[in-house]
Amino acid sequence: MAELEKTYTVKPRDFIRAGEVSIQIQSLLKSMGVTPDIVRRASVCAYESEMNIVMYGGEGTFTLRVDQDMIMIRACDDGPGIDDIELAFQEGYSTATPEYREIGFGAGMGLPNIKKNSDEIQVESHKGEGTCLVIYIKIN
Amino acid sequence: MKVCPTKAIRVKNRTVSYIAGDCIDCGECIRACPRGAVSAHTTENLKVEKTKTILSVSPVLYTQFGPGYAPHEIDAALKSMGYYDVYDQCEMQEMFNVAMELYINENRKNKDAPWPLISPVCPVVVRLIAYRFPSLLRNIPPIIPPRELVARESKKNAAQRYGIGEDDINVLHVTPCSAKMISIKDPLVVKHSSLYGAIGINKIYNDVMKHLRHVADIDKAPHSSGIGIGWCMSGGEIAGMEDGNFLAVSGMQETIQYLEKIEMGLLGEIDYVEFRTCAEGCIGGPLTVCDKYQAKHTIQRLVRLFGPERTVKCGYLKQLYKKGWYSSDREAGPPVRTQQVRSIADAIERQKEVEKIHKMLPGKECGVCGTPNCETFAEDVADGKATVEECVFIKCFKNNTEKKREGR
Ligand SMILES: Nc1ncnc2c1ncn2[C@@H]1O[C@H](COP(=O)(O)OP(=O)(O)O)[C@@H](O)[C@H]1O
Ligand SMILES: [Mg+2]
Repeated sequence: MAELEKTYTVKPRDFIRAGEVSIQIQSLLKSMGVTPDIVRRASVCAYESEMNIVMYGGEGTFTLRVDQDMIMIRACDDGPGIDDIELAFQEGYSTATPEYREIGFGAGMGLPNIKKNSDEIQVESHKGEGTCLVIYIKIN
Repeated sequence: MKVCPTKAIRVKNRTVSYIAGDCIDCGECIRACPRGAVSAHTTENLKVEKTKTILSVSPVLYTQFGPGYAPHEIDAALKSMGYYDVYDQCEMQEMFNVAMELYINENRKNKDAPWPLISPVCPVVVRLIAYRFPSLLRNIPPIIPPRELVARESKKNAAQRYGIGEDDINVLHVTPCSAKMISIKDPLVVKHSSLYGAIGINKIYNDVMKHLRHVADIDKAPHSSGIGIGWCMSGGEIAGMEDGNFLAVSGMQETIQYLEKIEMGLLGEIDYVEFRTCAEGCIGGPLTVCDKYQAKHTIQRLVRLFGPERTVKCGYLKQLYKKGWYSSDREAGPPVRTQQVRSIADAIERQKEVEKIHKMLPGKECGVCGTPNCETFAEDVADGKATVEECVFIKCFKNNTEKKREGR
């Protein structure tokens, strides 16, 4: 089956380049003719997971895989990991510092939005080892 | 070729061509080519009978002759050129401000609309969204832009006043904008345009100059709307709106960047974004004569003269709004303009091919092949619209290896 896979790296605490990977993914999906609403949902998921790596994670590896039926985005990092995954997915929960909140982050809606805009997600996170978030979005 | 935001221009055999369906009539190429290899489609070639034509004037025209001439003097000059009547759009722009406020409040309450809402005023922005950001079409409220309202109402008024049929009268838009003609032939924000055509400010400028006379001292000039005049520059539309969270963005690249952000779910706390793809707003339009900063200077003078206060009556406008006076017949917003040209499976294969070709290319982004950049060239090759040998670097490399093989 035809399949396209691309990998990108995301640097933690690099707020200058933050969001660039998501924009690349957004424009690639668009140029491939993926339907507008799917592009929008995939960009929301990509952006929120990229920003989480920038803000909370460690060295990040981003993978985009597209086949006929599915878009998969895998966002992994080797940072501190998530303590309580269920809590992290609650709307409004955030461990953002006052500085982050000052510049408009920390609404605690990132993970809930990813959940809302995807068809399936898998999270694996171990304390001190890192986090892996795998997001699936059906194309048809 | 390189300034085109949708990469729609190719230069082959010394002639410029466009990929139909990709051009959004933004006018970036008109601005970039001073020698006029490209020009806008306006009404020049249309036959207009001046005595049966009403001019609807973009206030940008009032900024083109310096701060010494008042809007009504410029209107008078136009009229003395033989036109049936001349309409100033300024008041309608204020009325539009009120309608948009009502729409925002209504939708904030019932949480209907997707945020932020995007102004339907700039036709290039609407086209850009229809072609490149179709998921944001629903952010454009179905409120008719001022230029269309003016055209509709001025025809109605003329018909009533002089007892002629609405079809016997044409409304021409005097405009700084290269996209107005296309937005009349193929309007996305309404089903059918009430305008007959558009005429560039640069086409009418000399004639106006010839007819321009001082009627009175500028300080004693009749009151026009300061808000309406301010609309010509970036930030002017939202300056006319009361309490809310508004943002103004101008420039093609800046507009694209912000649309990307909105598509990623950002800026949801903003109510309304005023986008203008021309830098500094409509005074930066490709069909203007006066430099945009000079024009801005004039605007600031006129706004001071006419005052920044609202001159229209909100109570009455609220009634009109409720009656649907402002409502577009495209209730679901403008239509999508992207075409699904290939299946996802084909798109994946094509993308791999594009990347393979792109890797062979030098990445110098020289544009000698007649394509804006290496990536677009790779796409053209993958689609069979060009051959790799059209890249000078690949051709040179090939020639050299052939020569070596021949032992020279
Ligand atoms: N990659 C990650 N590494 C460590 N912690 C994370 C990561 N992603 C999310 N988190 C934790 O989950 C919380 C909730 O994330 P999110 O819903 O995106 O909200 P916000 O980004 O506004 O804090 C964050 O505050 C953070 O504590
Ligand atoms: Mg987040």
